Amino acid sequence: MIEVSELTVRFGGVLPLDRMSVTFEEGTCGLIGPNGAGKTTFFNVLSGFVKPVSGTVSAFGEDLLAMTHYRRARWGVRRTFQTEQAIEELSVYDNVAMIHENSKATRSSRREDVLGAIEFVKLDVNPNAKVGTLGAAERRLVEVARAVVGKPRLVLLDEPAAGLPDEETAVLSEVIRAIPQHMGALVILVDHDMSLVSSCCEKTAVLDFGKMIASGPTTEVLRDERVMRAYLGTEEVAA
Amino acid sequence: MPSTTDLEQFLITGLSLGGVYALSGVGMVVLYRATGVLYLAFGAVGAMGALISWQLSHQDGWNIWLSFVAAILFGGLITLVYGMIFGPALAGRDPLVKATATLGLLLILLGVMDLLWPSSGGASRALTIPTDNNTFQVGQISVTYTNVIALALGLLITIVTAAFLRFTKLGTAMRAMANDREITAALGVPVRRVEAAAWFGCGVLSGAAGVLLADLVALDSTSLTFLVIFTLAAALIARLRSIVVTFFAALVIGVIDAEITPINKISNYRDMTPFVLAVIALLVLNRRRVITVGRQGV
Amino acid sequence: MEPRSLVRPAVAVALVAFAFLFIPSIFSLYYVNAWTQVAIWSIVTLGLGVLVGRVGMVSLGQGAVLAMGAWVAARILFATGLPYPVVLLASGLITMVLGTLVGLPALRMSGLYLALITLMLAGAITIVLQNIQFPNGGHGFTGYNGATVHIPPIRRPSIATTDPAFFRYSVIVAVLMFVLVLVHLRGRPGRAWAAIRQSEAAALAGGINTTLYKLWAFALASFITGVAGGLVAGFYHYLNSLTFATSDSITLLAVVLMGGAYSMTGAVVAAFLLKFLQQLLNDWGVSPDWLTILFGIGVLQVLTTAPRGIVEQMPKDIARLARLVRGLFSRPASPQEHES
Repeated sequence: MIEVSELTVRFGGVLPLDRMSVTFEEGTCGLIGPNGAGKTTFFNVLSGFVKPVSGTVSAFGEDLLAMTHYRRARWGVRRTFQTEQAIEELSVYDNVAMIHENSKATRSSRREDVLGAIEFVKLDVNPNAKVGTLGAAERRLVEVARAVVGKPRLVLLDEPAAGLPDEETAVLSEVIRAIPQHMGALVILVDHDMSLVSSCCEKTAVLDFGKMIASGPTTEVLRDERVMRAYLGTEEVAA
Repeated sequence: MPSTTDLEQFLITGLSLGGVYALSGVGMVVLYRATGVLYLAFGAVGAMGALISWQLSHQDGWNIWLSFVAAILFGGLITLVYGMIFGPALAGRDPLVKATATLGLLLILLGVMDLLWPSSGGASRALTIPTDNNTFQVGQISVTYTNVIALALGLLITIVTAAFLRFTKLGTAMRAMANDREITAALGVPVRRVEAAAWFGCGVLSGAAGVLLADLVALDSTSLTFLVIFTLAAALIARLRSIVVTFFAALVIGVIDAEITPINKISNYRDMTPFVLAVIALLVLNRRRVITVGRQGV
Repeated sequence: MEPRSLVRPAVAVALVAFAFLFIPSIFSLYYVNAWTQVAIWSIVTLGLGVLVGRVGMVSLGQGAVLAMGAWVAARILFATGLPYPVVLLASGLITMVLGTLVGLPALRMSGLYLALITLMLAGAITIVLQNIQFPNGGHGFTGYNGATVHIPPIRRPSIATTDPAFFRYSVIVAVLMFVLVLVHLRGRPGRAWAAIRQSEAAALAGGINTTLYKLWAFALASFITGVAGGLVAGFYHYLNSLTFATSDSITLLAVVLMGGAYSMTGAVVAAFLLKFLQQLLNDWGVSPDWLTILFGIGVLQVLTTAPRGIVEQMPKDIARLARLVRGLFSRPASPQEHES
């Protein structure tokens, strides 16, 4: 369980996060909101790139904000970025192994865990292939493999389906749904693809202008009037 | 401990040099804001302008003032040409790449200058602005009109540029481009023309600075090329943003450097001034650690 | 290991062995010295190549680091009778410490500001060196005696006092430095650096202590450059501030970019451009200024023709070359690969 309490971030005069409070209980949780709502900022706080001016984040009972950023990976935070960041000049294996290297998992299980993660995300390429030679969809999957290897506890997926065609998104959806059970991690999924969010996430939270405006079972949240207004502006919402 | 007269006399030197660094700094900062290019070749361009001026006036019998005009035009033109070719070629790249590219121009100019005006054999050249000979006394210290021009020009350029950026259409366009080139273009601003103006303007200032520094310091290609460090330090203290801060920072740097000259114990280390101040500026003013998402380096 | 990946190192080893054995007999003494400079400076370009090509840190101060290394080595050589390898190691370590200390403030920055701060620090070091001068056998901390008329030469290794022998000595030292770097690149630091260059944020999110690894890269580059400085001291016998020009750090970057910052052969190519061509032009009576101009053009060319960065360009060019070669031997039946 991830408990976020009164989290506030200030950049000059802007408050990208404004006393955000929400609890992510378990499984795969969605986090949606219009562009500029603060979702990536929230992830950046969890990753440790941005320091909040106030608020707390308690992850499985531990104070996440007290840890130095690069130590959070060892603790079990994993993250994908909006533009995939798999290292092009290294092989798929090395890319995933690097994360494993810096985690709590042991060396002896490395080969097994890495190949297991690659298989889990249904990536069907030679593990020794250089990531730079792969196509965009496959690189995305490498990113996801990196996010699930080595005893992850909190997996942050930032628009993993962006730019992917429908069939790849369907595969991704299956993979994401399986993460909590197979890897024992809590997943927070940010995406604009509502069908992906509905199929993966039982519960979803909605962010707008840095504030939480709704949170609860996904189907209800997606029908919530406040949510629709946030996305579409204050004009009349089509029935 | 040097005498008060010494300190006062060097204050004049410091203020003049500071004035030139200021006008250079303004040029560099405006260009950076408009194009994202930190023009490290600024000093080299000025140096070559000064050498061209020397060549025309001392070897080819030109009127000295006309030769200065030639130097200034040279600065403007070569900078414009560089900008029009390499600006678009490197448009989307990181400021680091753009700045490194100007180092390429710097090397080319250094090589050309040394070929055309070899510094071997101890033959030293000098460029003298006629106003050097017009002096007046302020108490015990003597001030040449060149000193006055240097400081006045620095002040004038700062004020004019600040006003230009704020009140004219072209200036506003430049400020807009500093924020976002694409949006500005989408708004119908003739981005290429605005850039050309920024490049040419910066180049003109480089030519002027080159002539003044050649007079105040020395007509030597290497020294003049690397005097850009002083200007750079001032621009960095201003965080490559504020023209007014650049002006004052340049004056402070110039004065400190000059005032250390008569203090024998550390006199030889005075040229560390810009380095020390720039390092402090970089560390203190850019304190907030920026963590980049995306490729580093060139 | 695939058979293909053994060919390149084998060729490299063969070339180095050939150079080691035969250069002194093929070339005149003048050119043997030119090759010695190539060997020595390839260590420096290798260091800068690691920083620029592997970690993504552009340093405009490696020339000053080299000068520091030479200073330290000269001082130790005059003050003690320590064997040369020990002196090289010492100058490497001291330069590493100094270089890292000086580079510490730079580590919080990236990109342009990192480059600028290294430029500033290098400038400051240059002024300090200009004032304390290079050791010339005098006493005291700086080892400089302005009044000395007969300056003793800086000694060379006892087994390598002649130019051909010193050439071979330099090659061995260079090979050792290359191996040291290779070990780093193949191991954990190498992977961490690749991650940092790709994206510092992703590296941090992957658990990599980026500050530590950036420091490590600086330390490695400073160490090997310090060792190279020791060779420089022995090579020239006499050092003064003219040995190290202000523009050196810039021309170093230029040749590293031109030779290819990413590959280790690139470092040798860079050193060749920097030093061998200089000696060649000197022999032909052509002004070295033409080289400066060439380097300037080279910088512009490399930066403008590598739209996604010089590191990406190399593997892409090689891949394109490989496809061309393959295409000569077979008719492509499948549709063109989608270039992302």
